[in-house]
Order: sequence, then C-alpha cells, then structure tokens
Amino acid sequence: MKAPALGLKEVLLALVCLGLVVLAVVVSGAAPAEALQRFVQGSVVGPASWRRTLQEATPLLIAGAAVFLALRAGLFNIGADGQLVVGAMVGAAVVLALPGPVGVGLGVVLAMVAGALWALPAGLIKAYRGGHEVISTIMLNNLAGFLALWAVKGPLKDPRQQTATTALLPSGSTLPDLVAAPPFRLNLALLVAVVVVLALAWWLSRTVAGYELSAVGQNPTAAATAGVETRAVTVRAMAASGALAGLAGACVVFAYERRFYADFSPGYGFDALGVALLAGSSTLALLPSALLFAILATGTTAVQLLGVPRGLSGVLLGALIVAFAVVRYRRRSP
Amino acid sequence: MNLALASLITLSVPLVLAALGGLTSERAGVMNIGLEGKLLAAACATAVVAVQSGNAVLGLLAGVAAAVVLSLTHAVLTQSFRLDHIISGMALNALALGGTNVVAKAVIDQERSLEGAYLPVGFYWAAAAVAVVAVAVYLARVRGGQWLLAVGNDPDKSRQMGLDPVRVRYGALVATGVLCGLGGALIASNAGSFTDGMTAGRGFIALAALILGGWRPLPTLLACLVFGGVEAAQLQLQGTPVFGAQLPSEFWGALPYLATLVAMVGLLGKTKAPAGLGRA
Repeated sequence: MKAPALGLKEVLLALVCLGLVVLAVVVSGAAPAEALQRFVQGSVVGPASWRRTLQEATPLLIAGAAVFLALRAGLFNIGADGQLVVGAMVGAAVVLALPGPVGVGLGVVLAMVAGALWALPAGLIKAYRGGHEVISTIMLNNLAGFLALWAVKGPLKDPRQQTATTALLPSGSTLPDLVAAPPFRLNLALLVAVVVVLALAWWLSRTVAGYELSAVGQNPTAAATAGVETRAVTVRAMAASGALAGLAGACVVFAYERRFYADFSPGYGFDALGVALLAGSSTLALLPSALLFAILATGTTAVQLLGVPRGLSGVLLGALIVAFAVVRYRRRSP
Repeated sequence: MNLALASLITLSVPLVLAALGGLTSERAGVMNIGLEGKLLAAACATAVVAVQSGNAVLGLLAGVAAAVVLSLTHAVLTQSFRLDHIISGMALNALALGGTNVVAKAVIDQERSLEGAYLPVGFYWAAAAVAVVAVAVYLARVRGGQWLLAVGNDPDKSRQMGLDPVRVRYGALVATGVLCGLGGALIASNAGSFTDGMTAGRGFIALAALILGGWRPLPTLLACLVFGGVEAAQLQLQGTPVFGAQLPSEFWGALPYLATLVAMVGLLGKTKAPAGLGRA
C-alpha cells in the first residue's frame, strides 16, 4: 500500500508538532538556541556523548524489536516496559545468587522467560477473551512496578544500602566491553542488540512462522481461512515479544547498570513503541530508528541541566509519533 | 456519612466520568485509549488555574477545556488525518504525561502555597449521576444518540443514509472531553494539588470498566463501582493481616490493577464491541 502524497495538511501538522516541543522548552524557561546546543553536545559530540547514546540505544534496539514483532502480529505491546523491568529483576537476582559466566548465561535465559511470562496473560486475554492488549499490558506494567518495588525493598535489597537497590553484581559477572577507551566504551550488549534485529529480520522474511505472524497481523480472517492458527500465533507473538523485552532488561543490568533498583526503567518501553512505529514496515529500519531515539533520550537528559523537566521527553515522543505516523500509518481515504 | 461508602464514591466517580467519556467516543466508533491523558491534562489544568486564580469555577473550566482540546486533537488525527486510533491515543497520552510535567514544574513548583480553590466534591458526584442518566437517555431516546450509535456501528452505511460520520464523531469527542475533564478536575480536587502522573492508570481502568460493561452506560457504572470498591478496600485493608500473615503494602497497591486483569480474564468474551470501532 502506497501512502498518498504529503499535502499541505501534513506539513502543517509536522510544524505544529515541532512548535509544541519548542513551546515546552520555552515554558520551562530555557532559551531554545541554548537548549538545542546542549542537546547536540550531550548526545552526538565527543566520545563520552557517544558512549551514553550507544548505551541508551541498546535497550531501545532490543525492546524496539520486541514491540516491532508484536506490531507485525497486529498487537500493541505497551507492556514492553513491565516485561523489561521483570526481566532485569530476574537477571539481577539470578547472578546475585550464582555469580560468574554461567550465572550470566542463566540470568539472560531466565530474564527472557520472565519477560515472556509477564506478556503471556495479555496474549491469552487477547486471543481467547478478545480483551484489548493495551489495557491488559498497562495493568501488567503497573503490577511489574509493584513487584519490583517489593523485591528491591525486601528479598533482593542490599542490607548495606540505604536506598531500595540490589547489591552491585560482582565484576566477572557482567557482559564485557568490546572497546574500552575511556571516556568511550562499547559493550557486547550493543552487538547482541544488533544481532537480535538482524535475526528478527531474517525470521520474519524467511521462515513460515514469521510469514504466518505477519499474515495474522495484516488480516486475521484471511489468515484463519488459509489455515493459520491465529489464536496460537497471537499468544506466541506476545510471549516472544515479552521475551525480547526481558532480554533488553537483562542487557541493561549485565552491561551497564550492574544492579537492579526501584524505578529501573526511565520509560524504555514507551520509547521502544516510538522506535518500532518509526521503523514502519522495515525491520532493519529499527537500527537508525533506535539510534535516533537514543540521541533524543541522551540529548533530553543533557537539556535537563538547563532546568527543563524530564517531561520534555514525553512531549518529544508524542510529537514525533504523531508526525511520523501521519506520514506512515495513514489509512486510505474512503 | 459512612466513611467506607464515602471512600467508595470518591474513588469510583472519576472512573465513572472517564468511562462515560470513553463510552461516547467508542460508541461513535472512535477507539479511545487516551482517557488517561485527558484525565491527567484536566487534573493539571484544574490545579494550575486553581492555584493561580484562586477561583474554583475557573479551575474546573480550565480542566474541561484542556481535556476537550486533547479530545478534539484525537478527533483531528483520527478523522481528518486518518491516523490509527491506538497510535493517536498513545501519542496524546505521552504528550499529556510530558506536557503536564513541564507545565506543573514551570507554574506550580515555586515558593508559594500549593493549595488552590476547588469545587466541593459533591458537585462532581452530582455531575456524574446526571451524566450517567443523560448519556443513557440520550443514546436510547434522542435522535442525536441514535445517529451516534449508527455511525459507531457502521460508518459507511450511516454515510449512505445521509449522516456525516466525521461530524457526529467530532460531537461525540467533545462530550468525551467534557466528561474526562470533569473526571480529571475531580482527581485534582480530591488531592488538593497536582502531582506527576497522579491519575495512576485510572483512565485505563475506566476503559476496562467500559469494555466489561459492554459499552452500555448502566453496566459500565456498575463495573466502575466494583473497581472503585476494590481501590477503597485496598486503602482500608493496608496493613491488616491476612490469615495471620502481614502482606506488604505493594500487594495492596497492586490490587486494583490485578482486579482489572482478573476481570478481563474472567468476564470478557461475553460483551460485543461496537461493530465500527476503530474503522476509518
């Protein structure tokens, strides 16, 4: 389906979106020019900025792939955030109990299992009860938050710390850096993320299961008529999406944070939705899309030093989704 | 009044108002996962204006206006730009969450008192009661309501019958905005001020209530009372031992969301969505 050509209306909307972001900066009392300068310097100028941006890109790539996979099956996995948090929590718990490379390997696997299990109710409710996955995954996000809070205040809490956090993972129980030239560093996790995206692209385009998943997403009735078990595909797609989100959480713990704490995710799951929507119909487009959102995230953090509240990232996310979606996801006129 | 009953009503009425807002939108065929954003925007506008002006009525009007603006934006995006209804709703939720954070930091977070002037909550209770009856009667007995249902059931057929689905939906979404605006203003009034993300997923719980209520006003009201009741019970039961064991406060906090999820597992599949929901 070819999207109709862009008209004046669409350009106008894009301008309104841009205006909203500028307005948010102005309302918080910062000069737009200075904010823009900080933004660029904080995200793409110099090795330290690139380290932060590539670090941010890691969970966005994997969680973006998770949301993308679900979207292909016609599912809005708003729950990637909760699945990521549960995955990170389980990953940290496993390695704290069993340090060493074996523990990391097991932690990654169990983080994916946890993410899948956290997504499973949403898949089942969608397939067998017809309940919209947006509502069920939002509920599961809230539940994940409470579970994580309970865990880091109780069983997983490091007794030596004042705050609700686990102990730091022992060195040797983390993912290694591929390049370590301070202030720049590049962790294995980013490579894992890129491989995940490439594997997903191959799986979606070259396997029967991947084809069936896309078929269900495009037209469930037609897919069912063609003999596809649409309910099973829906449940599996949601679980696979959750597993990837769980992997994203494990990667953040093992590669960067080295611990799990309350309010672990700064909204990776919601940015991941933006990443997946921006990528549109192309899996490989996840790569530049995640990089863009990572730049936006690190840039926004840098701008916060000027007193711009973190809500700016929400405004940015909303404005971007509207602007991109109007170009990519328009329905044909009646 | 009985304290438990008061708590039940206090916690249910925002859900009722938001769910009714969702009802007018979804019965007209516009999926609306943006109730949360509208509640939040209304709560923020109400609190900000209440603090700045000291005038309770102005606060309420600002809240309603904020929600109506968001609701009309949803109408513009889904109807005029033909954007996917879920994507538009998500984007507007993100805008509302981020925008209220920016505005609240800029306007409220200063040396001055956070206390504003708010209308008594009884006003909102009465408004919710009137709204339930009004929406039910309007949909069942008034021609405009029949048009709304027709557009929601089949936009194409209603167009052939001479209706303008886009116009009907714009009207329905104004009603959504007004109802969510009342709900958000009440949330701010209950708390006495605005805090970040203070709606805490109530817009989504209201949406679940709407779906469990089969998109009909009275069953939806009932579902809202059940969810509000769970939240009230949760607050009452915090710290009470269950079978001799002390449950953590996080368990009680999670209860309303768990109840919503369980209700979706147990009760769905028996209700039928408006046939034209989410279509063009």
